[in-house]
Amino acid sequence: MIMINRKWLSLVLCAGLAASMAGCGSSGNTNKEGAAGGTAEQTAGAQKEGGSKPELKTLNIWSKDDYNTYTLAKVVEEQTGYKVKYEMLPADKAMDKLNLLISSAEPYDVITITGEKAAYTDYAKMGALVDLTPLIDKYGENIKASISPESFEAMKVDGKIYAIPNRTSEFVGSSLMIRTDWLDKLGLKMPATLEELTAVLKAFKEKDPGGNGDKGAPLSIDGALATMVNVTGAFGIATGWSEVDGKLVAAPLQPGFKEYLSYAADLYKQGLLDKEFAVNKDATLKEKFTSGRVGVIPLPWYDIPGIADALTKNFPDAKYAYVPALKGKDGQAGLGMSGGFDRLTFIPKSSKHPEDAIKWINAKLDKDTFKLIAIGEEGKHFTYKDGVYSPILPLFTDERGLASNYLTGIDEKLYPVYWQARVQKDPRLFAGFTFLNSEVPAEYRISDPLALAPSLPEYSKNNASLNQMINDFAVKVIVGEESTDAVAAFIEKYNAAGGEASSKEVNEWYASVKK
Amino acid sequence: MTKRTKGDLLLDIGVYAFLIALGLIMLLPLASVFSKAVSEEWAITSGKVGILPVGFQLDTLMQVISSSVFIRAFCISVGVTAVGTLISILMTALTAYPLSKRNLPGISFCMVLFIFTMLFSGGLIPNYLLMRQLHLVDNLWVLILPGMISVFNMLVIKSYYESLPEALEESARIDGAKTYTILFRIILPLSMPVIATIALFYAVGYWNDYFGPMIYINDTALKTLQLYLQDVVMDANNANLTNKSIDDLMNMSPEGIRAATVVASTVPILLVYPFMQKYFIKGVLIGSVKG
Repeated sequence: MIMINRKWLSLVLCAGLAASMAGCGSSGNTNKEGAAGGTAEQTAGAQKEGGSKPELKTLNIWSKDDYNTYTLAKVVEEQTGYKVKYEMLPADKAMDKLNLLISSAEPYDVITITGEKAAYTDYAKMGALVDLTPLIDKYGENIKASISPESFEAMKVDGKIYAIPNRTSEFVGSSLMIRTDWLDKLGLKMPATLEELTAVLKAFKEKDPGGNGDKGAPLSIDGALATMVNVTGAFGIATGWSEVDGKLVAAPLQPGFKEYLSYAADLYKQGLLDKEFAVNKDATLKEKFTSGRVGVIPLPWYDIPGIADALTKNFPDAKYAYVPALKGKDGQAGLGMSGGFDRLTFIPKSSKHPEDAIKWINAKLDKDTFKLIAIGEEGKHFTYKDGVYSPILPLFTDERGLASNYLTGIDEKLYPVYWQARVQKDPRLFAGFTFLNSEVPAEYRISDPLALAPSLPEYSKNNASLNQMINDFAVKVIVGEESTDAVAAFIEKYNAAGGEASSKEVNEWYASVKK
Repeated sequence: MTKRTKGDLLLDIGVYAFLIALGLIMLLPLASVFSKAVSEEWAITSGKVGILPVGFQLDTLMQVISSSVFIRAFCISVGVTAVGTLISILMTALTAYPLSKRNLPGISFCMVLFIFTMLFSGGLIPNYLLMRQLHLVDNLWVLILPGMISVFNMLVIKSYYESLPEALEESARIDGAKTYTILFRIILPLSMPVIATIALFYAVGYWNDYFGPMIYINDTALKTLQLYLQDVVMDANNANLTNKSIDDLMNMSPEGIRAATVVASTVPILLVYPFMQKYFIKGVLIGSVKG
């Protein structure tokens, strides 16, 4: 039943959304709840109430704790003077539910979603959102001071701003993690180039420092991420797109793609790459690493504490560290960075108090208030020394752990500094984070050129399926089902499946910002 | 009875062995979730937990059970299930009764009306808008009222009523009983097997209902247990990870918590089965031999 219902859900939602779009335009005036009714009416309403602040109704992404009862709800209310009723989307199929709520014009005043520019742009284009440009001009003093013009530029749809973004700080998220006690046991040093990595893997296989016999493998990766972090950097394709002669080129179109595949296929042939990698999931990978069957895996730093616990429990002497950015044959190296936006906040047309919503958002971006929401009070939630904010545990986690869910727009200069207090919750996490983001030389940290791009329809339409295509092809080549000569044919297919259209669109945008 | 030959015995052993093996296979995933719920996190991460728990502990389970969001969702689900089952079973039994009287005028037309609703529905968005007009969105009654009577269950009860000897009712009438007395004092007590079975269907249905709450309940304070469960479990779904921010990833519940949530949400309804078992066997005989 549920399965059938789910399929129905998406089908019906699409149809419903289309229908309601058509309906929106005409019914706007007749609708008593005054969706499009106009700001004039609302201003009048606000004045009539004699400046008393209305209760705001917000919709947010899923959170472990109830927004209404988490400590921060009270803090926000005290600081801004607005009573707020928080609701949240489900963790699964959030966008389907959001479509339903938007198309039935539920009167939310503020809606915050993850950084999905595509969905946001759709809503803006169909006229479901309030144009924030005049509102920010009038009431958004702190908003203007906190958010860079660059970020606002990325939010523009047809020249108007419809959302307030939370920009993510740019950092390296993941790299190869290696068992250093295995290295020590064999008297090897940390690999710095691709050749050294191969040599280390060979030694791991032949001398078997983990004592697995034939069961283990030196290196394993996730079957859904067949493009290995760090290793791809050595072939110049650390990010999905990179600049070549002033133009953005997708990874498969670069010579490094083929070279990478032949390197990885070679590892596989020599038995240095886990034979079962294609069916590995994130959990299997961690299982293999922590049970000592595998010596090297790609691992994001936020997963370190869990891994470290399990590893020390199983092998009290186990040590681990990140492999530094590996150098390829021309000295090329790189770790891809994430970037962009992790939350977008907008005001739907169905809002009853758009002006108060902006005032509320603005009030939260007041310098002191923002700091209080983001990391709490000095001496209670954090300590400050030499420009570094450190959390006081466990209060910090208990009362500010979910703070990012309450931020609607961030102070783009200060937040990255505050934010590191979160990483310091666990020293092992912090060690991994700082290694990747301060000890790896800056020139090897490659930022994503598309991080601040506005919503590009062709690109967002095809991106997921193209990435899937690339991954499937990579897996096939690595396991030897296809030879590397198939790359040319693959590129043709890739272009036909939307790669070319995406490339054209991406470069049109890139040319416009480079000017 | 007839004498059993060696071949019969062999077949019996084979059948039992097969069924026991099949049953065990079905129990395995359940056992694995249970042991994850009571194992230590490091053991889960390193894949050591199979059928038996490793590093037995009850902290995770306690943490889940004592979470205020869980308790609230649990109470709501229990309430909706209890109230919903009561109302549903009462209304279904009441509806089935007149429909089982073939000599009432217009009964076949009424049946067509009922059957029609089994086959056709208005669709999701119209339904949502309708519920909103009725002020049922964000109202727990929305989980009970629209699906109060399941036509299928009603037909099952109806055919059970029809299987009761007509003479029974006639003699009651001669003794001076009126319709409601007949229904509540004679028919319903005799129908306990089917009523209990259908009640169990309804109870499980209400308990497991996920779709309704997901669509009609926006208010966090009114979320049911299944919604909560789905959120906790799906939060770590691979497909969801790609558009999560680092902060969300850092806040993700560990596997043990997810397993414990599943256990805490499933066990209560599992416990209902053994008590219903004896009715259940009688009740599902509907449609087979009468007499």
